[in-house]
Amino acid sequence: MIIKTEALTKHYQVGSEKVEALKGITFSVERGEFISIMGPSGSGKTTLMNIIGCLDTPTNGTYFLNNKPVSELTDDELAHIRNDEIGFVFQSFHLLARNSALENVMLPLKYAGENKKNAIIRSNEALDKVGLSDRSSHSPSELSGGQQQRVAIARALVNKPSILFADEPTGNLDSKTGEDVMNLFKELNDNGQTIILITHEDSIAQQSKRIITIMDGLIKSDIKE
Amino acid sequence: MLVEESIRSAISSIKTNGVRSFLTALAIIIGTAAVISVIGIGSSAEKALEASIDDLGPRTLSIFPSQRKRGGIASGFNPLVIKDAEALAKNNEHNWLIAPAMSGNRQIKYKNSNMNGEINGYLPVNFEVRGFDIGSGRLFTEKENLGRKRVIILGSKVPGELKTSAREILNKDILIAGTSYTVIGVLKEEGSTGWQNPDDDLYVPLLTAAQRIFGTDRLGWINVGISNDTNVDYVMMTIEQILRQKHDIGPGGENDFRINDWSQFSDLRRQATGIFTALIAGIAGISLIVGGIGVMNIMLVSVTERTREIGLRKALGATQKSIMMQFIIEAVLLCILGGLLGIFIGVSLLYLFTSLNDWIFYMPLSAVFGSITFCALVGLFFGIWPAKRAAKLDPAVSLRYE
Ligand SMILES: Nc1ncnc2c1ncn2[C@@H]1O[C@H](COP(=O)(O)OP(=O)(O)O)[C@@H](O)[C@H]1O
Ligand SMILES: [Mg+2]
Repeated sequence: MIIKTEALTKHYQVGSEKVEALKGITFSVERGEFISIMGPSGSGKTTLMNIIGCLDTPTNGTYFLNNKPVSELTDDELAHIRNDEIGFVFQSFHLLARNSALENVMLPLKYAGENKKNAIIRSNEALDKVGLSDRSSHSPSELSGGQQQRVAIARALVNKPSILFADEPTGNLDSKTGEDVMNLFKELNDNGQTIILITHEDSIAQQSKRIITIMDGLIKSDIKE
Repeated sequence: MLVEESIRSAISSIKTNGVRSFLTALAIIIGTAAVISVIGIGSSAEKALEASIDDLGPRTLSIFPSQRKRGGIASGFNPLVIKDAEALAKNNEHNWLIAPAMSGNRQIKYKNSNMNGEINGYLPVNFEVRGFDIGSGRLFTEKENLGRKRVIILGSKVPGELKTSAREILNKDILIAGTSYTVIGVLKEEGSTGWQNPDDDLYVPLLTAAQRIFGTDRLGWINVGISNDTNVDYVMMTIEQILRQKHDIGPGGENDFRINDWSQFSDLRRQATGIFTALIAGIAGISLIVGGIGVMNIMLVSVTERTREIGLRKALGATQKSIMMQFIIEAVLLCILGGLLGIFIGVSLLYLFTSLNDWIFYMPLSAVFGSITFCALVGLFFGIWPAKRAAKLDPAVSLRYE
């Protein structure tokens, strides 16, 4: 089991009001799965991804990643786990505008302390995997939205993470390029990559192998193909 | 590789916000330029002073005539005369060189050129005491002095003033108040000492000057060249003894001359310049600190602007330390670049100042490295807080930041 959570809750204090973004999430993920977490806007999807992606810590509940308890780790320990085990793809790509595609992909390797020569080789491999080896020296502004998102996917893959998280990865793309990106995810999953996809669109969720629907911070359904 | 990427990121961030970076660094630039030029001017002044002391030979005392007071009332003026110098020269207790001199301005004519020049009556030994070297021709001799010969030596700039060259004017006659003098030598360029410019002056034998030009045996001053290991106090006592006797000053009477120890004088001057330099440099240093606050301010803005970038870097595995390093490097780099620009401006100002004033250009390297180091420290100190703030940002919140 890669992920195992038990009764995860997350509360935010907004002024005098307490927002319960997650009210008790229990589920687990096996290696090689392709899961969609689906739900309307504001239901708590991003909050959940942040916690299982080690970007945030739960208010209550326990979380095991690769059988290690994560809830009590320090900031820097979480940073190392994110660097090692997790790849993120975001709706708005989050590429560094002043860097080339290759440099963007190299970034996680820099934080991993990889030497430059190997980092360049591995980043080029990752760009090759997403079909962009001929665009490595382009800056983000010289790439289409779909190409930018594929650079971001290459960056998420370059450290060979156990899990790839994608938060609304097609949200900023037209349906055709969105389809290309989904096909890329399927291909990666066919090669064994565990993927957790977050979306509010049913048509996107249907392309994965398991759909977890959440509503108001609770799991409403969990359906495998 | 992380350090390299931090430096590259800092450079591109400074470049992207070029105008803002420049304005931020302005106080640093001005501060460094001020520190550098002030220290440079102070050091150059000191160099000029040292050079002028060297000009005076190993060590020189100067005797000047001064008013004699009797019972607190100024009562005339007892001049220094050639006989006084001869009396000093006769004393062989000390191994000193007695260099009496008189000087005055006269109109000088050569062919169709006129100039007003300061004419000095010198003994051959005067040139040794002042460390003047002959450039072409020769010095006059003791015999020419005793014979009141009409021979003259020119400062290095005089031939130019007379619209001719040293080579051409050598062995020709020039006219001083209608009387001709043969140019037997031209000095090497000596450079200004700050209060005198020997290159503009003319030199004739002392007795020639006394009899033919000024018509007096009154001296302007007597220089006394002594070696560096001489007991100055003892030398001064001997001078006093001899001159008081010559001038008939009884016990209790005040001297009608004064003795200057140039090295003492220049020590004072050096001290004064030093204090002045330190004061201005200190004030300029404060402007560097003010500049540091500006840098801190802009770094805080930069951290806020780049919240999403920081969130992303953290998501990709950046630790607090690496984020901190990135922002500190940026602040330090900004200050160092400002410092370099300031040094460039400061050195240019110094160059301008020294060449306008005919000074030696001298910039101590230690001041250059010192101010760069200081700029870097300012950047480090004022970069820490913004960098800490960046490092402490919550990645989940930062990624949502619009
Ligand atoms: N940092 C935060 N502070 C306060 N409230 C938050 C914060 N992050 C998320 N929320 C709230 O938590 C709920 C879930 O948000 P989110 O996980 O972003 O939902 P989704 O991704 O499904 O749209 C929302 O009501 C949102 O306003
Ligand atoms: Mg969301």
